[in-house]
Amino acid sequence: MYPLSSQKKYWTFSSPEQLNDLRLKRNQKFIETHGSHMDDQQRMEFFLDANEEHLLLKQYEIYLNDFCRRFEPMMPKCVVGTAIHYFKRFFLHNSPMDYHPKEILATCVYLACKVEEFNVSIGQFVSNIKGDRNKAMDIILSNELLLMQHLNYYLTIHNPYRPVEGFLIDIKTRSSMVNPERLRPHIDSFIEKTFFTDACLLYAPSQIALAAVLHAAGREQENLDSYVTDNLLNGAREKLPALIEAIRKIRIMVKQYEVPLRDRVKLIEKKLEKCRNQENNPDSEIYKERMRKMYCDDDLEVAEDNSYYIADSSADMSALNMSQ
Amino acid sequence: MDDQACPRCKTTKYRNPSLKLMVNVCGHTLCESCVDLLFLKGSGSCPQCNVALRRNNFRIQLFEDPMVEKEVDIRKRILRDYNKKEDDFNSLQEYNDYLEEIETIIYNLCNNIDIIGTNKRIEQYKKDNREVIQRNRTRMGREEIELEEMLELEKTQEELRRQELLNLEAEQKKKKAREKEALIDELMCSGKDANAIVNEFAVKVEKLREEEKQLPPPPKPATQFSSGIKFGRSADHQFLPVPKVEEGPVYIHERPVLYMEGPAAPPVQEIESRGYMAHVRGENLTERAGGYRATYACQRALLEAMQGLFHGAAVAN
Repeated sequence: MYPLSSQKKYWTFSSPEQLNDLRLKRNQKFIETHGSHMDDQQRMEFFLDANEEHLLLKQYEIYLNDFCRRFEPMMPKCVVGTAIHYFKRFFLHNSPMDYHPKEILATCVYLACKVEEFNVSIGQFVSNIKGDRNKAMDIILSNELLLMQHLNYYLTIHNPYRPVEGFLIDIKTRSSMVNPERLRPHIDSFIEKTFFTDACLLYAPSQIALAAVLHAAGREQENLDSYVTDNLLNGAREKLPALIEAIRKIRIMVKQYEVPLRDRVKLIEKKLEKCRNQENNPDSEIYKERMRKMYCDDDLEVAEDNSYYIADSSADMSALNMSQ
Repeated sequence: MDDQACPRCKTTKYRNPSLKLMVNVCGHTLCESCVDLLFLKGSGSCPQCNVALRRNNFRIQLFEDPMVEKEVDIRKRILRDYNKKEDDFNSLQEYNDYLEEIETIIYNLCNNIDIIGTNKRIEQYKKDNREVIQRNRTRMGREEIELEEMLELEKTQEELRRQELLNLEAEQKKKKAREKEALIDELMCSGKDANAIVNEFAVKVEKLREEEKQLPPPPKPATQFSSGIKFGRSADHQFLPVPKVEEGPVYIHERPVLYMEGPAAPPVQEIESRGYMAHVRGENLTERAGGYRATYACQRALLEAMQGLFHGAAVAN
């Protein structure tokens, strides 16, 4: 039930500005904690700014969608929706410099599979990933709890797919439209596009669904306006302007969406490799050491090793700075 | 009493004062020596009615009329099976009928009227009421045990009281003897006036008597645990009182409210009557068996479509 859900209470925001504020804040917070030794100029050059982060994440949302579409066995649509929700929610409060989106992406999809009851084992899951599968498995499993923690354990996601079914049933029953099934391809592509926008963090799933249905009807040269005004909102006309406004905004969001430029993203990714938080980079010595420490906490020898590695990695960091 | 005689050896109480008449289930008397003689092997038949009897079923005749003995015997046997209590019946009338039936059976058996039929009746009754009989039997057993325990308790208390009394008496005797000795010693050894000494002692004894009277009675021996359970009474028929649980405020049910935040979704009746079901895949038999109806899915989809449609409306206005 969306009106009582945690999604509405904690994860639906009132305006795009609020989202931008959050994103700016997470960016500044990261720069402040990790760039305390630099002046503003250096910071600008070394770290990603909020816009760059946003572009990067947009690119990774596309990757996420592609990954899910290619997934073997075929994945239900709601898993994709849920995974994208998780991904967006996670990076509302965390900077991609802190946790690499590539890793969080896989974890989001894995968690979404579980939550949406699409049963794949971790082995089956990583067989869809190119590259080192064991490493991927490690990353996903070690990030899973972290992801849940950052989602505040609100794992139920209300996707627009069921409302779409509801509208289609309702349209078939209450309107005179011929063969509403032909709307489906348009609806699906519209909803897929909304996932690349912030619509799902701003609007109710039923609003997104209605926007998709109306958009699809427009594509098929059908007019469902009379259905909305006479059937759907029968007796609640005063709500109509707000609903129309919401739908209009959703459609504008989808229309205005731009695919991030490849070259731009590549540059950002390169920059990210340098400025990302090494503590969360599974390839870095610092990360390996942290993991090792977690596994054998009270081992003295390891503690000795530890100091060596930290010194080593700080040398590594300064080398990075030099190259900047 | 004098005409009591063993029907077999004709010995009477007069001739043999230690004559003990015995009786068995058939209700015919035999004296102890005849029983010893006839039932040497443990079993045999009654010399008067040829009913097969067992030696260990013989018991001493308490009533003059052996027929009474027989009736007592039969009654005991019948009541072992006909052991229903008044609260096993719905009405007093039924209970009275039941008692009447018992009396009829006993009378029939005592007076050899329709024995076969009566026995059949008993068998039938036993078969029909096996559970009730068993239950009441165990209940009776428990009551008997309780009674015995009470008797036992009384006996031990009696014993204790007697013992106490004896102790007290012995004590007093000793005391008196000691006083006397002290007096004599005093008279013998001290140089005081004998009269004065005697008077002094008399006063002392008087005082002691007074004190004794005021002494509280000896404390009662403990007969129960501190928890209030009597010694020797096992917990099987006396449970501890159930401790009172501190209860929170009483639960008050409130009907769950459906928050729509959107136009009202059609209720189940309408989903069926207005033809929504024509556009939904119907459930198959297996799903039906599991309690699933296609209306549920249809209703859910419609609900989710309607819910939240007005989200953000207040802000936009």
